[in-house]
Amino acid sequence: MIAPIVGLGNGAVRAVAQLGAMARFLFGALSSYRWLPKPGRRVTFRILIKQVWFTALQAIPVVIILAAILSFLLISRAVQELGRLGATELIGRLMVIAIVGELGPLITALIVTGRSGTAISAELATNKVMGEISALEGMGIEPAQYLVLPRLGGAVISVFGLIIVFDLVSIVSGLVAASLNGMATARYFEIVMASLTFRDAWLTVAKGIVFGMIVGTVPSFHGLAVGHAATEVPVAASRGVVVSILAIFLASGLFVLVS
Amino acid sequence: MTGVVPVRFEGVYLAGINDGTFDLEVPARSATSVIGKATTGVDTLGAIALGLTTPKRGRALVFGAVISEMPRHEALAYRRKVGYLPAGDGLLQNLTLRDNVALPLRYGSEFSEHETDSRVALMLSLFGVEDVAELRPATATEEQRRRTALARALAFDPELVILEQFFDGLTPRAAAVLMDLALGGVSAEGSRRALLITGQYLPDRLKPRIEHTFRIAGGALSHDD
Repeated sequence: MIAPIVGLGNGAVRAVAQLGAMARFLFGALSSYRWLPKPGRRVTFRILIKQVWFTALQAIPVVIILAAILSFLLISRAVQELGRLGATELIGRLMVIAIVGELGPLITALIVTGRSGTAISAELATNKVMGEISALEGMGIEPAQYLVLPRLGGAVISVFGLIIVFDLVSIVSGLVAASLNGMATARYFEIVMASLTFRDAWLTVAKGIVFGMIVGTVPSFHGLAVGHAATEVPVAASRGVVVSILAIFLASGLFVLVS
Repeated sequence: MTGVVPVRFEGVYLAGINDGTFDLEVPARSATSVIGKATTGVDTLGAIALGLTTPKRGRALVFGAVISEMPRHEALAYRRKVGYLPAGDGLLQNLTLRDNVALPLRYGSEFSEHETDSRVALMLSLFGVEDVAELRPATATEEQRRRTALARALAFDPELVILEQFFDGLTPRAAAVLMDLALGGVSAEGSRRALLITGQYLPDRLKPRIEHTFRIAGGALSHDD
């Protein structure tokens, strides 16, 4: 009778403990920047650039396609349905709240998690299993600086940049959809711009940073948490992605609550 | 650093020793080996010296300092004074052999890019891996990986080199060549560097070149005569 409650309690304790461990991991990585040697900054910066290349630039086509299709479908249906009700001005709020504010950051973060979160977890887990972490420390190189910081920075820059791409493509695709359904271009821009507030822009920036930190931190944490068996690598990759997705949805929910 | 003992283990706990602890000194300008089965804990000596592992009891001093007691950033900087080659070479799989050798120099030295490249080219040539420098570790042979890993460990020209299970899987000839490179040449005063070799096996051909050989067996640390 009491066993399920105990199980739930234990699960909750484990989840909180892991959240704490991840927060310490993130803080440790960020604070390690203070004593990153000057030449090491150049090395770390180069890795960050590579990370942005793999994470952001290579993901642009996927983001463009998804944003264009999603926005086209949604705005097409909205123009038809809201037009019947004489409420086409609501398309602006729909675009800003649903696509720019919610779906854009969420889908972008999920794309980056799927593409790069897996890669980060698997790569760092392999580093650990192959004894490369000890070797780095033995050479006087802090793994948090060399491995985690550039991935974290790269993820934040990439998610943020891709959200902007997603939002811009969505607005343009929405324009095409609205035009094809008989709405004037000027009218579309007018209602979308009238719906866009400073708060929406601020929220997009905040989501870019928070989701980027999740995508950079969670897979790194799980990747470096493996022991020394090669069989742990795919487990870490899977866990890193699953926990990242959960964290992104939870963070998205928290944004709705606090904004 | 001259005059200071490169490595001293003081009352360090090791599973394979009956009374639990041992003392050991690695003198300057000479090669010292500690051989024993993996279960004795001999493979942890390098990590203990560098503060990567904290022993249950005792401490290890490297050039008079206990690295494990230093703040983390100081410990990292201090470790650059030591050439450390962990078991299994520790090369980064996503870097070429050239970039592996260059990494510690790019990360921890004030050398310009040109100086680093020149030094790396010299090291690769000295260690006989310049022709395979653009390979990734996974596509290089075991000997090429060991040569590269040793070149990387010696990138800063350290006075102390710690090699873990370095000779396992190498031919005696290759082991002898790499041992000479690790020692950095021998003069009347001894070799240029102090060498601490740990592992389960030591090729017979190398034994005459090692001044101090210790063995952990039967629950005791003994000096081979």
